[in-house]
Amino acid sequence: MMVDAVATPPRRPGGIKRFIEAYPFLPALIIMLVLLALNGIWQPRSVSLVGITGLIKTYMALMLLAVAQTYVVYAGDIDLSAGAIVSLVNVVIVAVMASLGDSGVSVLAAMAIGLGAGLACGIVNGIVVAAFRLQAIVATFATSIFFTGLALWVMPVAGTPAPATFWRTYGGRILDVPFVFWAAALLAVILYLLARTRHALQLLAVGDDAQGAYQSGLPVTAIRIRGYAMCGVFAALAAFCITGDTASGDPLVGGKMTLYSIAAVVLGGTALAGGYGTVVGSVFGALIIGLINSLVYFVGTPSEWQNLVQGLAILVALVAGILIGRRARA
Amino acid sequence: MKKLTQLGLAGVAAAAISASAAAAADYKIGLSNGWVGSEWRTQMIEEAQAAAAAWTEKGHNVEVVVQSANVDVPGQIAHVRNFINEGVDAIIINPNSPTAFDPVFAQAKEAGILVISTDAEVSSPDALYVGIDQTAWGAAGAEWLAKALDGKGNVVAINGVAGHPANEMRVAGYRSVFEKYPDIKIVNEVNANWDQAQGQQAMQNLLATNPDINGVWVQDGMAAGAWKSIMDAGKAGDIAATGEIRKDFIDLWTAEKLNSGASVNPPGVMASALNVAVFMLEGRELKEPATAGQYKNAMYLPIPFIDSDNLAEAAKQVDGKPGYYSYTSALSIDEAEALFK
Repeated sequence: MMVDAVATPPRRPGGIKRFIEAYPFLPALIIMLVLLALNGIWQPRSVSLVGITGLIKTYMALMLLAVAQTYVVYAGDIDLSAGAIVSLVNVVIVAVMASLGDSGVSVLAAMAIGLGAGLACGIVNGIVVAAFRLQAIVATFATSIFFTGLALWVMPVAGTPAPATFWRTYGGRILDVPFVFWAAALLAVILYLLARTRHALQLLAVGDDAQGAYQSGLPVTAIRIRGYAMCGVFAALAAFCITGDTASGDPLVGGKMTLYSIAAVVLGGTALAGGYGTVVGSVFGALIIGLINSLVYFVGTPSEWQNLVQGLAILVALVAGILIGRRARA
Repeated sequence: MKKLTQLGLAGVAAAAISASAAAAADYKIGLSNGWVGSEWRTQMIEEAQAAAAAWTEKGHNVEVVVQSANVDVPGQIAHVRNFINEGVDAIIINPNSPTAFDPVFAQAKEAGILVISTDAEVSSPDALYVGIDQTAWGAAGAEWLAKALDGKGNVVAINGVAGHPANEMRVAGYRSVFEKYPDIKIVNEVNANWDQAQGQQAMQNLLATNPDINGVWVQDGMAAGAWKSIMDAGKAGDIAATGEIRKDFIDLWTAEKLNSGASVNPPGVMASALNVAVFMLEGRELKEPATAGQYKNAMYLPIPFIDSDNLAEAAKQVDGKPGYYSYTSALSIDEAEALFK
């Protein structure tokens, strides 16, 4: 399991207590496993290898977007344009691949350009929020409209197919293991390495107490911009997964994902006020949302109640996470 | 807490299971709807459920299972994967994206599942589209408007969501018609996101900037908003504008004798798709293979049109229904059968 950098409050003795403090994502992990078991009870095939592969294939993008959002939330900021960045990168890489043809080189070039586009969007957000000191929630709402406009300019209407090389890789297998499992493993390694750098710790320090961080000599503005930049890059990775799973460009594909990514962050035990949390928790949070959506259907909820039950279930998961965390900490 | 969660979910599940375990179905059809923002979608699902129930008289048990919630594109892909896991015979989907489902529909087909999209076309070669041609829908309203204006005048258009495929097709539809009338000038086109209030606001702005408007081409629920602005401005007698199909508007139309005409995208399209699906599951072959549309996989249904000639009939159909109820039509089982060999 990955260990995350957390600005831990002073440690107190006690086994479980210390454990939860060191691994704030544990409640999310427990809830996720419970939901997985419930899914398995109501629809055994949903927890078969095929079912789990499908689950990860579908929600890989949301997991990555939740990670993206977490880096921003660490510093007490928020990014309402994350979904729009996904849309923009999606249409950019599909447009690039369409113009360069179906080959390995064209796919790699498109991904490099896509990462650049995501990074650029993130830096724009960072500058607007941290350097110009606009309120993050409104400023990124505005940039989300701007990025959506750019996406519509690149591709006015959904439709251009992605080359087969791209989505067959995403949906295929390497050495008999589904590609998405490799991607998940790679993500785990990247998150582990990032957690060991000082970036995460600095973001958490800014989120915990921006004034204090500034007074202790941290470049607060630069750190916040870096948080948004990381968010942009991970949003671009999320866009790669969307493109792999949908095999096409759609200028509106990511719009609705933004709020889900924020929900996943909170479900994962990260504080929206900043200063406390883990990226691993957000990954579990994304899976919790996915598993709830499936479970609501598998238990046979009538269609007119599905939205309501889904919302309630997410609330229950949220409360459960808090209760588990509190009992362990008390 | 864990127990509480389980208890709650078990309760919901028990209620659902006792309702659905009545009989083993001949066919199990999954319905997926990815947006619940309008009553039209609710009516669409209810009509499809009623259509499935009607098969009992023909000696078939058609069980429908429904996933309907506000989801993003990955969320609706999850709908399809859930249906595959469950082993349904057919999936009927009102898709959130025209292109994003290609890989997952391919998986469904591999699993032997028939996939039909309705209301919005999909690019997947593994699926079939059963619904109306949105381009023809847009053209029909424009034809009516051109005739109402005697082929000349200034026209404005209020459109839905930019980049949404149905919107782009409808826009292409009215443009192609107005091009044929050299004396009709499109003086302004705006987007009001299929929102009634935004439609009303847009119309107000258009009336303020273009006082010499003769005709308005406007879609769906935005038409009710646009007409409100036209009436507030006291121009209801001077302007011809397209209308919409909900009972509230049909009542207003009748009472105020508005100069209006409405293309109908009936919520019954999903019921039509379901009847077609059952015949395909029976192994029947279409007389004319479904090869229409830009993706060569479409089977277009007739588009009803309401104007002053048949307004009274339309009003009769929606009489006694709630105000948000849409005028509808669907292929009956017999009408669907007539499409097959």
